[in-house]
Amino acid sequence: MNLVACQLTLRAGTRTLVDSLDLALEPGEALGILGANGAGKSTLLSVLAGLASPAQGRVTLDGQPLADLPPLARAQHIGLLPQGDEGGFFGSVADYVTLGHYPFGDPSDLAPHLATWELTELACRPLDTLSGGERQRARLAQLAMQQPRISLLDEPLTHLDPAHQARLLAWARDEAEAGHSVALTLHDPNWAACHCDRLLFLYGDGRWQLGTPAGLLTPASLEALYGPGTAALWRKDDRIQPV
Amino acid sequence: MAAAFACGGLLALAGALMQTLFRNPLAEPYLLGASGGAGLLALLGMAAGLAWPWVSALAFAGSLLALVLAAALGGRLLARDHTPLLLAGVMLAAGFGALIALVLSVAPTERLPGMLFFLMGDLAWTDQPAGLWAALLLAVATALGLSRRLDVLQLSPLKAASLGVAVAPTRWMLFTLAGACTALVVAQAGSIGFVGLMVPHALRRLGFSGHRALLPAAALAGGSLLVLADALARTVIAPRELPVGVLTALLGVPVMLWLLRKP
Repeated sequence: MNLVACQLTLRAGTRTLVDSLDLALEPGEALGILGANGAGKSTLLSVLAGLASPAQGRVTLDGQPLADLPPLARAQHIGLLPQGDEGGFFGSVADYVTLGHYPFGDPSDLAPHLATWELTELACRPLDTLSGGERQRARLAQLAMQQPRISLLDEPLTHLDPAHQARLLAWARDEAEAGHSVALTLHDPNWAACHCDRLLFLYGDGRWQLGTPAGLLTPASLEALYGPGTAALWRKDDRIQPV
Repeated sequence: MAAAFACGGLLALAGALMQTLFRNPLAEPYLLGASGGAGLLALLGMAAGLAWPWVSALAFAGSLLALVLAAALGGRLLARDHTPLLLAGVMLAAGFGALIALVLSVAPTERLPGMLFFLMGDLAWTDQPAGLWAALLLAVATALGLSRRLDVLQLSPLKAASLGVAVAPTRWMLFTLAGACTALVVAQAGSIGFVGLMVPHALRRLGFSGHRALLPAAALAGGSLLVLADALARTVIAPRELPVGVLTALLGVPVMLWLLRKP
């Protein structure tokens, strides 16, 4: 199951965010996507999910253009965790998580996914009574319920406390080790170094860089990515160890 | 009574669909100007002295005109964002409201009571109960066929699309179905208020979040509420009748306020 982007160009209005990106998301891989606000990370994930069209280039799944796949067939392989917006949902946490199984139709066991994200006790609560972090866990459980082989996560650490951040990143690792692919946008280079096999830097002006954490993460590259004074973000000798 | 039940059911169903379309529990069938368009043309017909079937036809046409205008002005981005459609509808409703006030202020005095009853909603004119029932059954069946998609449509458009729902076509189906239900009722009974807002909203608060249960429950509860309101409207100051829209609000407001107090 390969998700391949060929010569992908992304634009916001007249501004080129990403120019001629070639990327193959391999099975068993966790890819970290780093870039400043507005650099095109969310746009890239939407395009990789087949939900937005690039200005140029194309995305294929197993050699077949994503644009040619029926929506339900695509949703059986690719899951997207967009940034949060549950304003229109009126039901319980259990109802919300269950919707993740929509592409498959038949009922599926909810309990393990609720347990993984520590939502069992909250299952009957209306979603809109949860805290921001609890809601983020419900969104992750909904994605897990979809059981996609390719998970695209847009800022998945938002609202999560450190323990749940670690759990999310461990889940991403487990997914990769199970032969699935995960791409996630992150802002912390230390987490990225610990949990990602490869990194994609988006500079927001068309330029991009793809490489291993060891090859890409340097104080100078971080300053080039985020601006002056950000090199201290990278604590190479004081790394948080993988969970 | 049969017509009252069908009208109430159609309005509550339309309200439930609009709330899902706009992902807002305060959306209601008349949000996009359907009652304003119907009211304007119906009142013009009444002012010209036309008989009821013609007034009814004009109301139906006015309702559809408002919805088509709202769609033409604001529906372009419906795959991603429903705000332009909402704004277009609210502006049209305001414009129709002003024109209705203008017609009322220059219309012959002896025709004003009939016009006001139409604007407040009145079941005394309904002459197509069988047609309304057929529409109700067809609308409930169609909406139930969409129910799983509507559950997913409560999520953000991007999330719904990522789960395999074709967001724009489903939203257009919702808009068309809700609009048709509303136009049929307004053409038969004027602008009966509150049923389309309160019934689905109250049911959601009572735990009906899945559309498979919510949609038939809304049709049943909306129909029952309007039957009750109609019975009261005919008896409270008998032999005179009150416009049923007055009773739906009088019955609905306390229930709604009680529900809002629930944690």
